[in-house]
Amino acid sequence: MKKELIELKVNGRRHEVAIEPSKLLLDTLREDLGLTGSKRGCDDSSCGACTIQVDGTPMLSCTMVAASYQCDNGAHEITTVEGVAEHGALAAIQKAYGDWGGSQCGFCTPGFMMTVRALLQRNPEPSDEDIRHSLSGNLCRCTGYTQMYQAIKAAILAEQKGMARGNERTEEE
Amino acid sequence: MSLPTFKLLRPRTVEEAVGMLHRYQDEIQICAGGTDLIPSMKQRLFSPKYLMDIRGIEGLERIRVTPGLGVELGALTTLTAVEDSGFIHKHYPVLHEAVKTVASPILRNMGTMGGNICLDTRCLWYNQSLQWRKSCGFCIKKDGDLCHVAPGGKKCWAAFSADTPAALLCLSAEVNIASPSGFRRVAIADLYTNDGVNRIKIAKNEMITSIYLPESSAGYSGAYKKLRIRGSIDYPLAGVAVALKRKGNIVEDAKVAITGVNPAPHLVPDALHALAGREVNEHSAMVVGELASRVAKPLTTSLLTPEYRREMVRVFTKRAVMAAAGAEFSI
Ligand SMILES: Cc1cc2nc3c(=O)[nH]c(=O)nc-3n(C[C@H](O)[C@H](O)[C@H](O)COP(=O)(O)OP(=O)(O)OC[C@H]3O[C@@H](n4cnc5c(N)ncnc54)[C@H](O)[C@@H]3O)c2cc1C
Ligand code: SF4
Ligand code: FES
Ligand code: FES
Repeated sequence: MKKELIELKVNGRRHEVAIEPSKLLLDTLREDLGLTGSKRGCDDSSCGACTIQVDGTPMLSCTMVAASYQCDNGAHEITTVEGVAEHGALAAIQKAYGDWGGSQCGFCTPGFMMTVRALLQRNPEPSDEDIRHSLSGNLCRCTGYTQMYQAIKAAILAEQKGMARGNERTEEE
Repeated sequence: MSLPTFKLLRPRTVEEAVGMLHRYQDEIQICAGGTDLIPSMKQRLFSPKYLMDIRGIEGLERIRVTPGLGVELGALTTLTAVEDSGFIHKHYPVLHEAVKTVASPILRNMGTMGGNICLDTRCLWYNQSLQWRKSCGFCIKKDGDLCHVAPGGKKCWAAFSADTPAALLCLSAEVNIASPSGFRRVAIADLYTNDGVNRIKIAKNEMITSIYLPESSAGYSGAYKKLRIRGSIDYPLAGVAVALKRKGNIVEDAKVAITGVNPAPHLVPDALHALAGREVNEHSAMVVGELASRVAKPLTTSLLTPEYRREMVRVFTKRAVMAAAGAEFSI
């Protein structure tokens, strides 16, 4: 099938890509935009490794046709794990994942990041139940869930204490 | 896996969409959230020449309450939006309960009410890759002429596996269907065929635009119980919805519907008869369970045995009736 030129807005930047109309968003991100953070885990819409956000809502990029998510009048702002860091520094949740061993092989991590980020954006003080519920669509084959919950709680605490990254760094130094 | 190639159509109005359906009839497929269709396209169960993404149609994504009439849910309303609606939770609790068991939170962000109602039927021999199906032999539902589940038969028994239609049956919901000649309104109870292949009575040039919940069904207490393999994500292998209207503790009206076991969701006849005019107790709940399990006709379309699924319909119906009445139950 002939390629078509479409425009996607990913991590705050507009990109023009020439792709087949049937190309999946996951493949477009990975192959055409070089954003290989989003992973293909199950390829049947059940693991969450390919999770990205569209206008802040977590969705499965392995189950989306890229050309359906062209940027139209401000809609369809796509965020991938590459867009989570803030001003070049790790976001609180990324740092906490490192500190608490939230990743083992790391394959599921980008997907989890996107889900956790959306949860915290919507609900800055989630209960344990809220966390479990919202993560129930992301699977970790290494099964390190306990460490992930610890990391998420640490990230929440860090955000609550308003621990600006600058201060933290001075403490460490 | 990549998708089979297609041309993407993105109508902006219902008229435009219905025009496209009319023009391309056999070569076009509607895609709403895509959470049922896209995985099936990867498996080459569908390879339409045109894929019509209807998410860009304005005005189909809202929950609108009209006092005196009821609630209209646009076909593109996501399952998450229904789950998060305090109004639905308060007035139509059986729908709230059913919707929050569908798939996973992320899939509910994508999946729509229209897509849930129109969900394809499922079977162990059908929801498989092309290679798998080719190796085991194509069946009636796709490309073949035999049934692995009921050999010798000419009918497909793939199970209707959406959760919300059981709740919608209990609420006497109706759907609004658009076609090139205008709109028609059909009760959910008249929408399905009980045939695994042609599961739903919607013509090729038609689409669902909204779902109505009548005001007369508001305020019924409700419960939904579901059997699945993975608690966090799977399709129902048996599902039971119950809605009750009571005065004091006395049942005035009762609706029970099952899904996940037959090629269509079904209301359980006589459930009202077993419950009306008395309090709900373990005995009457058990009687309704018995009635529901008689309606359930599961075959070997899933990894769980038909006997187990049928027995679970009985048990879950009993539990759902007790839960809808707010009663304690032992098993
Ligand atoms: C891992 C996994 C688990 C799942 N678990 C469940 C579950 O537990 N329970 C459950 O009910 N579902 C489940 N689903 C299926 C699905 O997520 C939901 O049923 C969802 O509501 C489908 O809606 P959709 O908009 O994504 O449908 P789509 O995939 O877009 O469409 C589904 C079908 O409906 C047709 N269609 C869509 N909208 C319309 C319309 N307006 N008019 C006419 N036809 C239309 C399409 O042509 C297609 O045939 C699961 C899916 C996955 C991948
Ligand atoms: S019930 Fe029979 S015909 Fe239908 S999908 Fe299963 S094997 Fe195929
Ligand atoms: S790769 Fe998308 S859900 Fe598993
Ligand atoms: S860390 Fe290995 S899959 Fe989750």
